[in-house]
Amino acid sequence: MLWHKSWLETRARFLVGLALAICAALSVVMLYTRVGELLQLAPPPDTGGVLGRKIREAVVLAQDYRGYVWSQWFAHQLTQMWTLFALLLGSGGLRSQSSRGGALFTLSLPVSRGRMVGVRAAVALAELAVLALVPSLVLVALSPAIGQSYSIADAVVHALCVAVGGSVLFSLTFALSTLWADLWRPLLIALLVVVVLSLAQTVFPELSRFSVFGVMSAEGYFQGDGLPWLGLSASAAVSAALLWGAARNIARQDF
Amino acid sequence: MADAHVIETGDLRKHYDGVEALRGLTLAVPAGSIYGFLGRTGAGKTTTIKVLLGMARPTSGRATVFGLPVESPQSSVEIRRRTGFVGDDKGLYDAMTVRGMIRYTASFYPQWSRELEERYLRRFELPAERGIKDLSRGMRTKLALLLALCRNADLLVLDEPTTGLDPAATEDVLQALVGHAADRGCTVFFSSHQLAEVDQIADRIAIVDRGRSVLAGALDDVRAAYRRIELVFDRDAPDARFTAPGVVRVRRKGRVLSVLSSAGAERIVDEARALGPVSVDVAPVALKDIFLETVATED
Amino acid sequence: MIFRPNASSGVPIYLQLMEQVKHAIETGALRPGDQLPGIRPLAEELVINPNTVAKAYRELEHDGVIELRHGAGAFVSGAAREKKLTERLRAGQTIVAAAVDKLRARGVTEAEIRRLFEAELARLTAGGSRG
Repeated sequence: MLWHKSWLETRARFLVGLALAICAALSVVMLYTRVGELLQLAPPPDTGGVLGRKIREAVVLAQDYRGYVWSQWFAHQLTQMWTLFALLLGSGGLRSQSSRGGALFTLSLPVSRGRMVGVRAAVALAELAVLALVPSLVLVALSPAIGQSYSIADAVVHALCVAVGGSVLFSLTFALSTLWADLWRPLLIALLVVVVLSLAQTVFPELSRFSVFGVMSAEGYFQGDGLPWLGLSASAAVSAALLWGAARNIARQDF
Repeated sequence: MADAHVIETGDLRKHYDGVEALRGLTLAVPAGSIYGFLGRTGAGKTTTIKVLLGMARPTSGRATVFGLPVESPQSSVEIRRRTGFVGDDKGLYDAMTVRGMIRYTASFYPQWSRELEERYLRRFELPAERGIKDLSRGMRTKLALLLALCRNADLLVLDEPTTGLDPAATEDVLQALVGHAADRGCTVFFSSHQLAEVDQIADRIAIVDRGRSVLAGALDDVRAAYRRIELVFDRDAPDARFTAPGVVRVRRKGRVLSVLSSAGAERIVDEARALGPVSVDVAPVALKDIFLETVATED
Repeated sequence: MIFRPNASSGVPIYLQLMEQVKHAIETGALRPGDQLPGIRPLAEELVINPNTVAKAYRELEHDGVIELRHGAGAFVSGAAREKKLTERLRAGQTIVAAAVDKLRARGVTEAEIRRLFEAELARLTAGGSRG
């Protein structure tokens, strides 16, 4: 029943996160009607540079519901919220619990450390997958309410790209949490990595395809290329390697 | 017979960040015994238990439980399947209820006994639906004990089970331990500061000091072997040197010479008579004094 | 058994238990043929090691005080010697009770009574005796 305990430990965070994500998805749908009005009011600005380009891109994308959903929901809100959840669910774990007695009890159970780590990671990844899929499907379900429609297939693919691409960030935090006993250090370091990656993406947009956020946003798929198999497999491989490293750390750890 | 020993260690050593917690500990715990593991705080009791249960890996030396090596992860899982553990912090999951914790633990042990579970729930008067974070210390200990007893383990390992408990709770815990051990013939290995309870229920003991075993054996034998010999003189007590072995400590105060011996009291008494004391008194030594004298700093 | 072994007294618990059983037989609380508590229940009740109880019972059997019947339990042996001990002590109790009543009637306090008895016994062991 290890999974049950992991579920109990993450349940609150998960449900709050799910509620927030669903609300965000709802607001994305509801706001679309406004966006149309706003676009009529604001003419395309002549500001140059990165900001100007971004605004023009956003305007172009927003003309069409599919583009709007991609740029607002998948490439922005979901990616950002999901990254935060991934970091939050990746921290905690056996080492930070060792000051709280429950860890020794867990370690006294007839379960290998590999299984303890594996179950914790699996439960978190499953929760993260739900956190990407369910709000996206809610968005699909609600689009007809404003007279729009969004393809389920697109929603599923994009949600999976967010989850699989972003799993690297979860696994990074998870692996870091096996190195130190305090809760904050792994979280802060992972946050730092996220900030650096986002900055890099802004400064070097050519590399964005190869970054974690590039895989998560799946711009190529949006623009009609097939599934980003290379990016997804690379992310999955890096994730797996990080989780394996985490398992090895825990296996050798003295408590 | 090697397999008559449930726990065996040979020259066990453990370093933790530059601290030498165990410096060559050698122990042998016979099956079916109630084994008291004594020592001051920091002597290495908890470290020993952690090593035996696979929570920490030994730096060097040998340690086996049920004949299985503790360093091998698969053996360690098997060891834990047959062992019941109560840690000194009585660590439990605060987020669960009593009933939840029991069901959770039971799921890992196919030999779990529902009958024992009901019996101990009633006997310890544990509120099944209460959250663990709301339990008193005594109730936490009893719940941790219940979780260890119901799995029908062959070995019970307890780290300071009654520390911090009031006398009534202490009695409940000891009584449950003794009753369970007598019923099922399991081995009990417990570390303790509380010498009175060790005196009561242990049949074998080991005293560990600074990571090494300094005394080990059947408690009755230890009690029979240790004697305090008190010599009163009609003048200031002489500064005597005894050649007989077994002298642990000699104290002089005014006209009284007090000798603590760990063996061979008769020979020491013979030597003592040669000094011409007015009176010679030989008395047994309480475990507390044996303990204090054995772990007192040498220098 | 209504006694608590004193683990810290320096006297091994099994010896204390043996003394208690012998005392119970001498005062008549346990009679020949009476069954003693089982090892396991007694260990649990007194909160002592079952091996300690087992050892005490073995020694008592060795001394002929009790019999261990295989499968049935431990029983006080029916030796006549024990009966005489019981009777002698019962008579002794009656005499002491009478003497104590008389002394108290004269206003002698309990502490003084105790000292009188001890002094008389000490005088006896030191030498000389009264008829």
